[in-house]
Amino acid sequence: MVLELIINGETRHLDIDPRAPLLDVLRGEFRLTGAKAVCGEGFCGACMVLVDGEAVPSCLRPVGLLEGSEIVTIEGLAPVEQPNAVQRALLEYDVVQCGMCFPGMVMTLTSFIDKNPSPSREEVKHALTGNICRCTGYERIVDAVMSLTENDEAATS
Amino acid sequence: MQADAAFSTMIYPRTIAEALDELAEEHAIAVAGSTWVLRAPLRHEPLAPRFVALNKLDGLRRFDVTTDAISIGAMVTHDRLAQDLPEFMCLEALRSAAERAANPGVRRIATIGGNIAAHDFSASDFAAALISLDATVEIAQRSGLRKMLVGDFLAQRKALERPWLVTAIVVPVDPLRASAHERLPMRHAGDYPSAILSASANRQGQWRIGVSAVEHQPKRWRALERALQRQNLAKAEDVARELAGAFSGLNLPGTPGWYRVSVLPVLVRRAVATIEARLAVMT
Amino acid sequence: MNIAFDPASAVMNLPRRDALDKLTGRTRYTVDAIGPDMLHAVIVRSTVASGRIVKLDLSKAQALKGVRAIATYSDAPWLHGIGIADQPLFAHEMIRHHGEPIAAIAADTEAIARAAAAFVEIEVEQVAPLLTMAEALEPSALLVHPRWKDYEVLFAGAPRGGNVAWEAHVNRGDTDSAFARPDVTIVEDCFRVSRQSHVPFEPRCAIASYEDGRYHIQCSTQVPWTVRNITAKVLGIAPSRVRVTVPAVGGGFGLKFDCTIEPVAAILARKTGRTVGLRNSREEEFLTCLCRENAEVQIRSAVTAEGEIVGREATVLMDCGAYGGEQIFLTTMTAHTLGGNYRLGSVKLNSRAVYTNTPPNGAFRACNGVYNTFFLERHTDNICAAIGMDPVAFRKLNVLGDGSLGATGQVFNGDVLKPMLERMEAFRAAVPDKRPAAGKRLYGRAATVGTWFVFVGPSSATVNLNIDGSATLVTSGVEIGQGTMVQAMPQIVSAVLGIDPANVIVKTADTDASGRDVGVGGGRTTVSVGSAAQMAAERVREQILEIASEILQTPPSKLVLAEGRVEIVGLPGSGMSLTEVIQHAESIHGPISGTGNFTGPGTPSLPGCAAGHFIDAIDIPVFAVHDCEVAIDPDTGHVEILSYKVVQDVGRALNPRAVRSQIQGGVTQGIGYALHEQITLGSNGNIEQSGFEQYLLPLAEDVVPVEIVLHEGAPSIGPFGTKGAGEIPIMNVGATVACAVSRAIGRPVTELPLTPPRVLGLLKGADHTAKCSFLYFKELVDL
Repeated sequence: MVLELIINGETRHLDIDPRAPLLDVLRGEFRLTGAKAVCGEGFCGACMVLVDGEAVPSCLRPVGLLEGSEIVTIEGLAPVEQPNAVQRALLEYDVVQCGMCFPGMVMTLTSFIDKNPSPSREEVKHALTGNICRCTGYERIVDAVMSLTENDEAATS
Repeated sequence: MQADAAFSTMIYPRTIAEALDELAEEHAIAVAGSTWVLRAPLRHEPLAPRFVALNKLDGLRRFDVTTDAISIGAMVTHDRLAQDLPEFMCLEALRSAAERAANPGVRRIATIGGNIAAHDFSASDFAAALISLDATVEIAQRSGLRKMLVGDFLAQRKALERPWLVTAIVVPVDPLRASAHERLPMRHAGDYPSAILSASANRQGQWRIGVSAVEHQPKRWRALERALQRQNLAKAEDVARELAGAFSGLNLPGTPGWYRVSVLPVLVRRAVATIEARLAVMT
Repeated sequence: MNIAFDPASAVMNLPRRDALDKLTGRTRYTVDAIGPDMLHAVIVRSTVASGRIVKLDLSKAQALKGVRAIATYSDAPWLHGIGIADQPLFAHEMIRHHGEPIAAIAADTEAIARAAAAFVEIEVEQVAPLLTMAEALEPSALLVHPRWKDYEVLFAGAPRGGNVAWEAHVNRGDTDSAFARPDVTIVEDCFRVSRQSHVPFEPRCAIASYEDGRYHIQCSTQVPWTVRNITAKVLGIAPSRVRVTVPAVGGGFGLKFDCTIEPVAAILARKTGRTVGLRNSREEEFLTCLCRENAEVQIRSAVTAEGEIVGREATVLMDCGAYGGEQIFLTTMTAHTLGGNYRLGSVKLNSRAVYTNTPPNGAFRACNGVYNTFFLERHTDNICAAIGMDPVAFRKLNVLGDGSLGATGQVFNGDVLKPMLERMEAFRAAVPDKRPAAGKRLYGRAATVGTWFVFVGPSSATVNLNIDGSATLVTSGVEIGQGTMVQAMPQIVSAVLGIDPANVIVKTADTDASGRDVGVGGGRTTVSVGSAAQMAAERVREQILEIASEILQTPPSKLVLAEGRVEIVGLPGSGMSLTEVIQHAESIHGPISGTGNFTGPGTPSLPGCAAGHFIDAIDIPVFAVHDCEVAIDPDTGHVEILSYKVVQDVGRALNPRAVRSQIQGGVTQGIGYALHEQITLGSNGNIEQSGFEQYLLPLAEDVVPVEIVLHEGAPSIGPFGTKGAGEIPIMNVGATVACAVSRAIGRPVTELPLTPPRVLGLLKGADHTAKCSFLYFKELVDL
C-alpha cells in the first residue's frame, strides 16, 4: 500500500505494509536511526517521536494510522548545530553515558517542558515513567531539566 | 514487511456498518490505539492479517457531558479522558485510572474502547473503574446498537457474537456518589500492578467495587459490596480479608497469587478511606 | 622514566565530546549500521534444555527464496572457553541449554531469515535437564559434559570433574582449631541469590565481511581482542586472520565482555561472500543473557567476645549454566570478596562452579562481588547481633588495614577501609536522618563495607604526534558509556603533553591498529589502558623535550610542556610552540610517536593458600562503604529507599563529575538487584523473563540522589594514582539494602531481590529463608 507520511517537515511516499510500526519504517526505510529499537512494547521510551506535537512510542504506531500526521523525530527536533534547550541543559550537566536512551528522553522532556514550564522534581520523575535509562540513575537528568524551569527549587549537582 | 497488492492489510471503514462487515472476516481485528495489537509478536502470536482501523469512524471520539451521564467514544485516549473529564466527585476513580495506567506515552495513544475490548489483558485499570461506576458499554452489532453493563460485557466479551465493536462507554453522573481507584505496581509507578481496586459509594452505603489484575478477568466484588453496606467502615479491611478468599490469585513469576489476594484488602481500606473523606466534603 | 609534571593537571571535569551526537540521535552504533545493503542473519536456537540431536535437516530452509547460507557446527568445530575449552559455537550432537544456537541463517532480509528458521527441522531426543545446582551435584546425576576429561585445559591447577566445572580453594591457617576454641561464638548462615540481567539498550550485534582472506567483524563489544581470539579459535585459524572494529557501544555492563554471536556473523559472511548483519532481538537478549550467576553460600565464623574473627569457612556454589565461561574465572574472586574486607585469623573457602542445563552465565558489573558482599555483610550483621556488638564498631575493629593479611595471604597497603568508615560516620552525622519520612512505615538503616579489584591485565597504546600539535591516541579501548575513552584518556594524554584535551584524538578500537588489550570492564580501562596511554605519551614527551632541548640549549629537566608550548621553567614565553618543535623533528627524524604497555605487576600471596585461582592476590583493591535508609510498607512489603550514601575509594578522581555519574548509575543498578530485578527459570530450563514487562528495571521515581564522598589518597599503581571507579558502585547495594530491610522488619533476610511479595512474606512470618541443602554442602566429594 502506498502511504504518504510527513516526516520532519518532508512529505515522503512509501509502498509498505501499513501495519509496520513507525519505528521500523523510520530506521529501516528512512535510515533515521535516532529512535532506538529497545523493548518493542512501549515501556522503555527509547523510540519516542512527536506525532502531531505529542510524544508517543513509535514502536506502537502502525504507519497506516499516521497519514496526514506531522511526525518529528530526534533528527528533526533541532539541528545538530543548534540543539534545543533540553539538549543544551543535558550537555551542560554532562549527563549522557551510553546514549541509547537519550533521543527518547529528549523527545519526552522537550514536549513535557513545553507544556509544564514549572514542574517539581517529582513531576519530572513522574513524566519519565515511560523513559528508562540503564546507565545514569536519572537524578542528573532531572537536575538538568530543573535548571530550565521557572522554579526556585535548586538543582543539585 | 512486504505489501501484498491483492490483499489490503489495513482497511479504513467510514461507517459502523462497513466496519462490522470487515470485522466479520476471520482474519480481521479492530485497531484503536493499537498498543495491544502491535505487541502480538512479543506474545508469540502472528500479527492479524487485516487491521480494521477505527480512526475514520465518525462519532467514536465524542465526549458528551450532561447532568446525567458522560458519553465517551471508544476512541477517546487515556490522556484526553483525564483532561476532559469534569471534576465530579463520583468520577474520580475514572480519572485516576486514566491518569495512572501505563505510562505517559502510551496514555496518549491507548483508547478506552481498545483497553476494555482486549479480552486477554488481565490488568486493566479502566475495567475496575468502570465497574465501580456502573458504566455501560455501547456495542454495535449487525442487529443494532446494544447496551450492557461493563461487568457483563467483560464477562462475555470472549463469546459475543461476531462481529461486534465497542462504540461508546456511558458513565452515569451521580452527585451523591464518591469514587476512588487504587493500583499497586511493584515499583513506585509503571506497570503492571499486582492488584487494582476501584470503588464508589453514596452515603446510604451502596457500594460498587471493581477488581482487576488479581485474576485473569476483572470482576465486580458483590460480596464485599453487600458486606460494607452493613459494616462499620473502620473494619473495611478486615471484612475484605475475610471475603478475599473468593479470589484465586493469578500466579506469574515474581507476583504470586497469594500476594495479590493479600494486598487486596489493603487497597480496600485505602479506597474506603478516600471515599469517606470525599463524601464528607460533599454537601 | 621519571619526568616531573603535575598530576593534578590531569584532573578536570572534561565534558564528553560524544554527548552532542548522542543527544541529537546522530551517533551510529553497530545496531544502527545494520541496514538494507547487507544480508541479515538469524540464529536458530534450541527450545529445549537438554537432549541428543537426532535430526537436523536444513534442506527446506535452504530452499527458501532469499536464503543465502546456513551455518552449523561443522563450520566452527573447535571449542573455546575460560580455563577449560568446553563450549562450541553451535550445538554438536548434544543440546545443553534452552536457547543454545544450533544453526544460523543468512538471507536477503531479516523476515526471510526468520521465516527460514521455522523451516529448519530439528529433532531432539530429550533428556531430563539438570535445572539446579543441587540436582547437578547429586552423585547419580547425568553429566552435562560427559567428555569433560577430554577437554583442553587452558589454565592448569584446579580440581574439576563431573558436573563441577572448576573449584578454587583457599586455606590459610587452622580453621578446625579456631572453631574448636571454647571462647568463641559460632555463627552459621545460608544465603542465596538468583540471576541479574544486564539489559544494555543496544543488543549484542555484529556486521561481518570477509575481505582479502580475512574476517572483519564490526561489533558491539567490550573486548575486541577476545572476539578476535575466540572467532579464530572456533574456526581453527590464526587470530591474525581476524580484524575487529568497534564504534560507540550502547551499554555493556559486562554482557559484552564475552564473545557469543560475533563469529556466527563472520562465518556467514565468508559463506555468502557478502556483508552480513546479525543482531539479537530483545527476547534473545533476555533468554540467552550471560547473567550474573545465581549462587548459594554456606558460611560460618568463629568470633570471640571481643569481636575478633578467629576463623571463617564458607562454601559457595556458583551456577555456570551449560558452559563454564566467566564463572570458572570468578571462583577466584570469592577469596577477595567473601574472604575479604576483614582480618581473619584463619580461613577456608571453597568456590565451586557447577554445570547445569541452563543458559550460560557471565560477567555483570562487579560479578560475584555483588552477591558475596550481600552474603558477607548480612553474616556480619548476624555476628554482631550474636555477640552484642554495634555493627559499625565491629567493622571498624576488624576491617583490613596497613599490613593486614588477606585471605590468600597477600599483605594490604595502607589504611583505607577504617578511615572510610569514619568518613561515613561523619557523613551520617552531618545530616539529619530520614526517619520522619518513614511515617508509619518500618524504618531501617545500615552501613556496609566492600572490596573489589581493578582487573589489571595487558593493555597497549600508541600516541602519534600530529604536525598541527594534536595527538592521536590509538588503543583497543571501547567507549561503552562509562566515559573513560572520551574523558580520562584524553585528560591523561593532554596532561603529559601539555596540550588541550580537545586536541587529543581518540581512535576507536581496531585490532589491526592497536596492540592487544584484555578489554573494557572490571573497572580496568582508566588504570590499564590509561597506564599504557600515559607511558606512550611520556615517550612522546621525552622525544619532544630532547629535540626542544637542543634547539633551546636547555636541559630537558628544565623544560615544561604546557598549553601547546615548550617552556623553560621559570621563564614563561621564552620557549617555543609545540608545532615548531614537531616541524623541526619531522624534518630531521620523521614523525614522532611513542608506545606504551601495561599489565598487572603481580602481588605476592602466601604460598599454598590459594589453589585453582587465576589471580592469587589483587594488585589494586578498590574499597567502598555504603549507607542506606529504608522505609517498608508493612501492609504491602514495598521498600522505599529514603537515602543512599557512598564513600568510594577512587585513588585520585581524574574526572570527579564523571565518577559521580558512574556512582549514581551503579547504585541504581544495585537498587534493581536489591529490590526489583528477578530472573526465574521455567521447567523447560528457560529464563521466564523475556521482556520489559516481566523484568522490572528501576524507573526515575524508584531512585534517590546518591550522596557521595570520593575518598582519595589510597595507594594505587594506576596513572596519577587513580583506581577504576565504574564497577564498584553497584557492589554494596544489595548488601546495604538487605541489612537495612532486615533491621527494619526484624527478620533475617537471606535472599534477594526484596520484592514486595518476598518482604510481605517475611513480615507474615512465613519461613521464607533460604535453606542450605546440608547434604550437598557437607558431602562435596573431593576431586
